Amino acid sequence: MTSAQIDVLLVAIVVAAACAVPGTFLVLRRMAMMSDAISHTVLLGIVLAFFVVADLSSPILIVGAALVGLLTVLLVETVSRTGLVREDTAIGLVFPALFSIAVILISSLAGNVHLDSDAVLLGEIAFAPFNRFTPFGGDLGPIALWVMGAILVINLACTALFFKELKLATFDPALAAALGFSPALVHYGLMALVSVTAVGAFDAVGSILVVALMVGPPAAAYLLTDRLPRMLGLSIVIGAASAVGGYWLARLLDANIAGSMATVVGIAFLLVLLLAPQRGLVATARRRRRQRWSFARQMLLIHLATHEGTPAEADESRPDHMQRHMRWPPTFANRVVQTATERGLIVLEHDQLRLTPQGRETARVAVVS
Amino acid sequence: MSVRLRTGNALAVQATDLTLAYQQRPVLWDVDLEVPQGVLMAIVGPNGAGKTTLLRTVLGLLRPAAGEVRVFGRPYAEQRQLVAYVPQRGSVDWDFPTTALDIVTMGTYSGLGWVKRPGASERSRATAALTQVGMQAYANRQISQLSGGQQQRVFLARALVQDAQVYLMDEPFQGVDATTERAIVNLLRALRADGKTVVAVHHDLQTVAEYFDQVTLLNVRRIAAGPVDKVFTDENLRLTYGGRVAGIGGRTNGSGHEPSL
Amino acid sequence: MDVLSDLFLDYTLRTVALGSAALGVVSGALGAFAVLRRQALLGDAMSHAALPGVALAFLITGSRAPLILMIGAAVTGWLAAVAIVSIVRASRIKADTAMALMLSVCFGAGLVVLTFIQRQPAAGKAGLDRFLFGQAAAMLESDVITMAAVGALGLLGVLVLWKEFKLLSFDPDFAASLGIPTRRLDVLLTSLLVIAIVVGLKTVGVVLMSAMVVAPGAAARQWTDRLGTMVTLSALFGAGAGVLGALLSTTAETSTGPTIVLVATGMVAVSLLFAPARGLVWARLRAWRSQRMLALEAVLADLAALAAQHGSDATHPHDVGALHAVRGRVVMQRALAELAAEGLAQRHDGGGWSLTAQGLAEASRLARTRRASGDAP
Repeated sequence: MTSAQIDVLLVAIVVAAACAVPGTFLVLRRMAMMSDAISHTVLLGIVLAFFVVADLSSPILIVGAALVGLLTVLLVETVSRTGLVREDTAIGLVFPALFSIAVILISSLAGNVHLDSDAVLLGEIAFAPFNRFTPFGGDLGPIALWVMGAILVINLACTALFFKELKLATFDPALAAALGFSPALVHYGLMALVSVTAVGAFDAVGSILVVALMVGPPAAAYLLTDRLPRMLGLSIVIGAASAVGGYWLARLLDANIAGSMATVVGIAFLLVLLLAPQRGLVATARRRRRQRWSFARQMLLIHLATHEGTPAEADESRPDHMQRHMRWPPTFANRVVQTATERGLIVLEHDQLRLTPQGRETARVAVVS
Repeated sequence: MSVRLRTGNALAVQATDLTLAYQQRPVLWDVDLEVPQGVLMAIVGPNGAGKTTLLRTVLGLLRPAAGEVRVFGRPYAEQRQLVAYVPQRGSVDWDFPTTALDIVTMGTYSGLGWVKRPGASERSRATAALTQVGMQAYANRQISQLSGGQQQRVFLARALVQDAQVYLMDEPFQGVDATTERAIVNLLRALRADGKTVVAVHHDLQTVAEYFDQVTLLNVRRIAAGPVDKVFTDENLRLTYGGRVAGIGGRTNGSGHEPSL
Repeated sequence: MDVLSDLFLDYTLRTVALGSAALGVVSGALGAFAVLRRQALLGDAMSHAALPGVALAFLITGSRAPLILMIGAAVTGWLAAVAIVSIVRASRIKADTAMALMLSVCFGAGLVVLTFIQRQPAAGKAGLDRFLFGQAAAMLESDVITMAAVGALGLLGVLVLWKEFKLLSFDPDFAASLGIPTRRLDVLLTSLLVIAIVVGLKTVGVVLMSAMVVAPGAAARQWTDRLGTMVTLSALFGAGAGVLGALLSTTAETSTGPTIVLVATGMVAVSLLFAPARGLVWARLRAWRSQRMLALEAVLADLAALAAQHGSDATHPHDVGALHAVRGRVVMQRALAELAAEGLAQRHDGGGWSLTAQGLAEASRLARTRRASGDAP
């Protein structure tokens, strides 16, 4: 690998890690679509700030973008608070409008500025190595690496400092308010982090793929663990791994790097969705199959227990009755009866299924639980 | 309509061995429901007892793991026209752009079939039903402008328009004003006088004996069912509600039917 | 106006206007259901997911025919919707996450295919990148015809299944209890939303198409409480925004998609503020008026109380300085001026105030109605 390639890879990893941190909370707060809205509207902040400072590398751009990100949240809340439209509609109205303004402003800037709408959507991480951070004449690597590194540190520091507040306000906003931790403050704080991260990542991966990095890895991690700290850690790892995978995919296909990263995020999520040990679709299907048998046995026992000693018992406990009333196919019903008999839960007497004491006890426990 | 003749002598609703589980957690375990024609039956039980689930299973909105539902002796799917459903008020979007009359007209849709639009006769039937619940003055109101009780009466009118034999209601008295509560009770009695059958999920234990003839006590399993005066006893309520009733206000010494829930 | 005469003479402008009108009608009418069914963001996800479809359709067929690209877009958009619903149903992932994920991943995959195409020497990349933001000026007659035909299909679907869709949108459980196959209808209505999205791809672009689905419906909802009127208005608003935006963008040489979206957003803003009955301005005005009426009535009651102290001479002038202290000087003076203007109060030469005979009558009438309705004074 050339040093430029290593630089690109490093930037990709840092961007992915930085996105995963606020993204985890977005996913848990069911606000994933806010990342879509904010990542679009930060462009307006960049453009407006650019009008002021006329310098594309100025840190003021990040401030402007973060402010517009917060403005987006505020506008969405204002519109949905009127009660005239619902929140999803409000999001769907606000961000395209702000984004449209930004796109029109950009195109009015003419082509002489390196800020066209394609770059906005696609980003160009491949150019990251050519923009070097050279204080006092020394070369300290790509600027993007420094910017995203700083944002990653900020995200991690804020999350570590306000971990309990974030957790509480995410899980139970009412309790957080009652305990004096303003959920609104936490909310806007998080949105500020999302905005800053989105604008930082923007150069590298463009405005829409930021969303993949913010939402995908945490969504995958959400299927792998039930612990918040572990989910954060896993998100970062999955994000970074997708970044690396995406880079190689892009080289393989000679295609856009950011797009490949998003694609790999999608593949990673799909793999987790299928194969996660506890919550994966494969594991769930297997568990269902296994439980289907024990569930059917329980149903049989409870059915027999319910009708035990009633006048209807003679009719209700015939083996063929199970097929009719439980809608079991004959082979399935036979197998249920067979396994239940093998386990000593029932016996067959005069074409009647009868509970053994053990079967009766199992039925009782099943109902109580 | 020929379906009208299919009522016969069978039970109005007969569900046998209904079992239903969400993610292996049983919600209904081997539940039977037997509703004779012409009675008002309450389904009573604590939160999470499966009352709404039972109703939705009877309606075929949920597929049971076991058991079957018959309406007047035939499978539910064949007798759907005989059954009207009044969902919980909270289940729909009341800001939907439509009027009270329009909601009631929806009750005529099943008779219309596909594609065909409701016409003057459907609208006049809907108006008649609105009048029956005392809401004719609100026919052209947008539904969000109605009070909770008025919305409930619109839902009842929609069920009336269906001209069914069996009415399944999910908490019809939930959050309604006293006027509406009286109106609903009168309506239930009028339905019974017409030979119709009503099954309602009901929360208020104090009014069960006054409003209903029969009761099914449910807590995942059927605890007891039958005429209110026989079945609605302290012992059965304790079995249904577990320790929760027993622990409250001296229910254990068994006087009266009013657990303070 | 030049633009108006051009509209009838200039081929490009006429094509643009017609195409945008078709797009607006279709996305407006079908989008109204999306707004009511809380699918505003699903529309966003689906429109982004249309990008890989467009790119793949081109890659596979090598054709830029509008119908082929639309079919490609519809297929991936529809698959994304199915994937979102399935992920939510099969796992603990919530809808917002599933949508954001599908949106960005599909868009990323679309970019991969796009850049892949662009690096093929023979492909001739022009045209496809227009799908990002749209370009009305590039619209051809064949585009317009395809859009109109596909859109008409969608509108026909809504017309034929009108009452079923209405029931499904309002109360799906009740619909199911009537024996209506809600699952299949749900899929069908969502598929119509796909149609609404793909007709706008070339004009508005995948990135902003969702706004064209949401905005007309959100605006129309403010003007009416009837579904039929809402869908019709939504179609009209959509057409208006489409034509106006497309013409503006063609004459001002801005990107078409963003311009149309801004016009549509403007319509929403006007509707939210000024629609009769629901408009915020009127609501604020009503609140302000009733507050002012309350203030007037309070001052009227104060003056009546003062007059009562003087027994026979009800119109005896009073020094209102004491009332200034209670009600606030500004409020008092404005209220007195208004009462005087309505002939209910009068100012005397010495600076004192009293009620007129008419004012006294009004005050006692108000007092009576208040007692009758049981309000505290």
